[in-house]
Amino acid sequence: MNSPISRQRRPINWGKVASYALMMVMALVYLGPLLMLLNTSLKTMPSFSRDATALATELNFQNFAEAWKRANFPRYLLNSIIYTAASTTIFIITGLFVAFPIARKYVKGAGFLLTLYVIALFLPPALIPQFQLILNLGLYNTPHGFILLFVVNAVGIVILVSSIKSIPKELDEAAALDGCGYVRFVWSIILPLLRPAIATVVVLHAIGVWNEIITPTIYLTNEKYYPITRGLIVFQGVYGSQWPTLAAAVLMLTLPMLVLFLFLQRYIVSGLTAGAVKG
Amino acid sequence: MSKKTFPVVVALLLLSVLLAACGGSQASPAPAAGGQAEAPAAEAKPVTLRLLVHQNPPMVEYMQAFNEKFQAAHPNIKVDMAVVNASDLATATQTRLTANDVDLVDVFGFSNAVQPYMKNVDKPNWQQLIEAGLLADLSGQSFVGNYAPASNQDAGTYDGKIYQVNLGRVVYSGIYYNKSLFQANNVAAPTTWSELVAACETFKAADIPCMTAGGKDGWPIFVGAYGLIGSIYPDQAGLVEGLWTGNIKWNDAKSLEMWQKMKVYTQNMMEPEASGIAGDAAPGRFASGAVAMFAGGSWYASAIEAANPELDWGYMPFPGSDNAADNKYLFGKYDQGWAVAANSANKDAAMTYLSEFSDPANYQAFVNAVGFIPTQSSATLDTLIGKEVAPYLENFRVGYEQYWIAPKGAGEFANPWASYFKPFGTYDDATELANKVQADLQAGLDAAK
Amino acid sequence: MNYHFGRGFSRWIPYLLLLPGILLYFVIALGPSIATSIYSFTDATGLKGAPVNWVGLDNYREFLLLGQAAKNNLAVLGRTLIFSVLVSSIQFVLGLLFALVLNQRLWGRNVVRTLVFMPVILGAVIQGLIWSLFLYPLGGPAAKLLELVGLKSQFLGGSPMEAFLWVVVVQIWANLGVTMIIFLAGLQTIPSEYYEAASIDGASGWQAFKNVTWPLLTPSVNTNILLNVIGSLQAWQLFLVLIGYRAGTQVLGYLIYATGFGAAGSLTQSFRQGYAAAASIVLFILVLIIGMTIQTYLRRREERIMA
Repeated sequence: MNSPISRQRRPINWGKVASYALMMVMALVYLGPLLMLLNTSLKTMPSFSRDATALATELNFQNFAEAWKRANFPRYLLNSIIYTAASTTIFIITGLFVAFPIARKYVKGAGFLLTLYVIALFLPPALIPQFQLILNLGLYNTPHGFILLFVVNAVGIVILVSSIKSIPKELDEAAALDGCGYVRFVWSIILPLLRPAIATVVVLHAIGVWNEIITPTIYLTNEKYYPITRGLIVFQGVYGSQWPTLAAAVLMLTLPMLVLFLFLQRYIVSGLTAGAVKG
Repeated sequence: MSKKTFPVVVALLLLSVLLAACGGSQASPAPAAGGQAEAPAAEAKPVTLRLLVHQNPPMVEYMQAFNEKFQAAHPNIKVDMAVVNASDLATATQTRLTANDVDLVDVFGFSNAVQPYMKNVDKPNWQQLIEAGLLADLSGQSFVGNYAPASNQDAGTYDGKIYQVNLGRVVYSGIYYNKSLFQANNVAAPTTWSELVAACETFKAADIPCMTAGGKDGWPIFVGAYGLIGSIYPDQAGLVEGLWTGNIKWNDAKSLEMWQKMKVYTQNMMEPEASGIAGDAAPGRFASGAVAMFAGGSWYASAIEAANPELDWGYMPFPGSDNAADNKYLFGKYDQGWAVAANSANKDAAMTYLSEFSDPANYQAFVNAVGFIPTQSSATLDTLIGKEVAPYLENFRVGYEQYWIAPKGAGEFANPWASYFKPFGTYDDATELANKVQADLQAGLDAAK
Repeated sequence: MNYHFGRGFSRWIPYLLLLPGILLYFVIALGPSIATSIYSFTDATGLKGAPVNWVGLDNYREFLLLGQAAKNNLAVLGRTLIFSVLVSSIQFVLGLLFALVLNQRLWGRNVVRTLVFMPVILGAVIQGLIWSLFLYPLGGPAAKLLELVGLKSQFLGGSPMEAFLWVVVVQIWANLGVTMIIFLAGLQTIPSEYYEAASIDGASGWQAFKNVTWPLLTPSVNTNILLNVIGSLQAWQLFLVLIGYRAGTQVLGYLIYATGFGAAGSLTQSFRQGYAAAASIVLFILVLIIGMTIQTYLRRREERIMA
């Protein structure tokens, strides 16, 4: 975003005109649905039945109150944040100590271990045995059982390994000569150097956990443990026909996420791309 | 920017780990409390009774009120009711029974057990649950006696033991009609197929959509046309056997007539927009007064009343035949019932719950709320839908789809579903579709040989 | 490799710290994946207490060979491939186009980048709800637009083919942001001197793209192809949210979930986790073959370009 792009002088600006036109279309395609949601959320049900698309004239904020009252959205949001943050943290900490020795070949069979992680890219989710596992561990319908399901991410490890490889090995030697221990070296020297790659992995992982819909259906039956995805599906089951209320609910969940995204956007986007381009 | 954000993010992550740990420890006492209830002197000990039901707004509303009442009468029992969408009920039942995480489950009436003439089939899920020992035997419980013996036999018994008390029947081969629209357009409630066709022409000429249904979910289109199958094959158990033995084919002359009528139903009677209306939105569409008829099951009645109490509506059997005498049947099924988890630690509390639920006064209130046809002989049909279906109840028949189990290897079209026709599906020609349906079934029958 | 951080016990520290991560990976991911292949040879139902019998290849035989159902399954397999090809190719082309446009100095480009990326943050449930509302056939926005040109459509409730194509559209809309962002990052690594040199040589816009942008974009191209192809082969959440389990529209991932967890529509449908596991293995093999082939091809292509 702050990368220098040389100012190009063009005698005819039709290229830019076309670009602006395309940008307008893109903005419309992506902003339109949000506006439509807003419009619907302000309608009453009878007015929606009469004309689903017409502009809301009545500004019926009742829908928001209704959706807020009927579903425990703050609870669902908090749950989602807890699940996402906890699983991501555990994964990053354990993952760092997996990726580093593999990248440096400090453990025997490092190449083989890496292959095991690469293979996972192709594996379909092992829903069925995983279910039996969680059940037998007595972690069914518990928040920690749910978090446990998301503390590994093979793609994340592969990205971390390839990023660590780009850090010169001489650094290890120099640090060791200075009397720096293994743990302190990984934690206070490698970790800060890996910041872009870790950001990538955090973002990839967090988005995945946040948006998961099947796992909560299978593993979390208690309403107080629902993440927002599950809460919203259940809410839709009850209010599926009442689009104005449903739209209000969706908007209420969308807004905090968008604010969070705008706040961290720079960071998320640069993070998401840093590792991906190196492949 | 990023230098400053990073520690903040890390701090947030760590904080939430702590939060998660706290949440976990708070959560653990609940199941432990349930476990203690096994002791004989359980009455005083606190028990959490875990219920699983499917989403059905009037039923859930009744249940919430009933649970309040029940908890007030039994201060030591806390009712924890989970509501899932009907499409998730099987998944939730499977996982929660296996995890022994539920005491009382909502199950549908048993009727499609594997028959001796069926080969190469999978057992229906309720049969799997019983054979895995996950449902408790209710035979001999006093509340079972409140329900009609025929209902316990037909909907709750497997292998001589009673595993559920069924809470009511529903009919689904009927049509809701808007009486004011019928009067305004001088149309009488049709009793034959030709009258129905004519009625639709009249409404369409007046720019009123003739019929609606919850087409987005697919099955309501099929269910709406059930009267067409029923008027041609009134013996539904015989139909299943006939299809299995080859005496009846989906493309024989009799069936072909059914397909031709289904084509008229989907393409000339149903409003095309029905395909975008979800099952639970259809009653609202009909209640708005915009559509003359709504082909659907009796369970929609309370939603119609809730959406528009002013609407003057009636319910009649779908007239599938030109001979009015063939249209006197109503087809349906045993709907929701209760089963107890065999491994439940709270069986006593569960039985207490069922006893009170089955109390005739409570049961009557339940039936009134959901509009079921009662399975307790002493209960009466107080609702409008009850009065509308009452004249046909002696001709109530359980629908064929309740008995039907397809052979492994049968194709995905091996059912008489009207929704295969355009605009809901891809078929336009009745004969072509009939041949496809029979071929898909035949593939399974052949594979079973 | 030389290890610098001490000997004796210290030499074992990396192993010790590696252990938790590896263990978790084996227990939660790899182990269950291997177990899936074992499940696929049984008639497991997933119910506690139900007997589990070894049935050999029966599940595979039924899935791939038995009657019309097998033909339907092969159609599902084919549909999964079509879905993947449509989604990954269109997403690739549009993502590149958007990235090229938004890489220019244009007023408001950051806002548009944010907007295009937004659905990724919102997730499948909200994406699905937004589009169900947009495609609402009783006077929803899409229906109104079609009406203007005198057309009518049932969208998600119409013919299976049309419903399927709408899921393709939503899938692309939802994930285009990721593809675009990866391309943008790739574009920003290309030094502007290269373009200046090209314009001094008198290269047209197209020639500059062909000779500078495209070859130097290779890492982003590879990442996007691999991510999109594998991702779309395994994606099915939007099918669940937008249309549910409906004949003529499903893809393999949905079939696996629906048969394993009794969510295929009928309320009395049996639980068949052994059979579903066999279908998972079929999907695994499909993804493995396609993924490996593409990766090999991309690596060769990269070597050729770098050479």
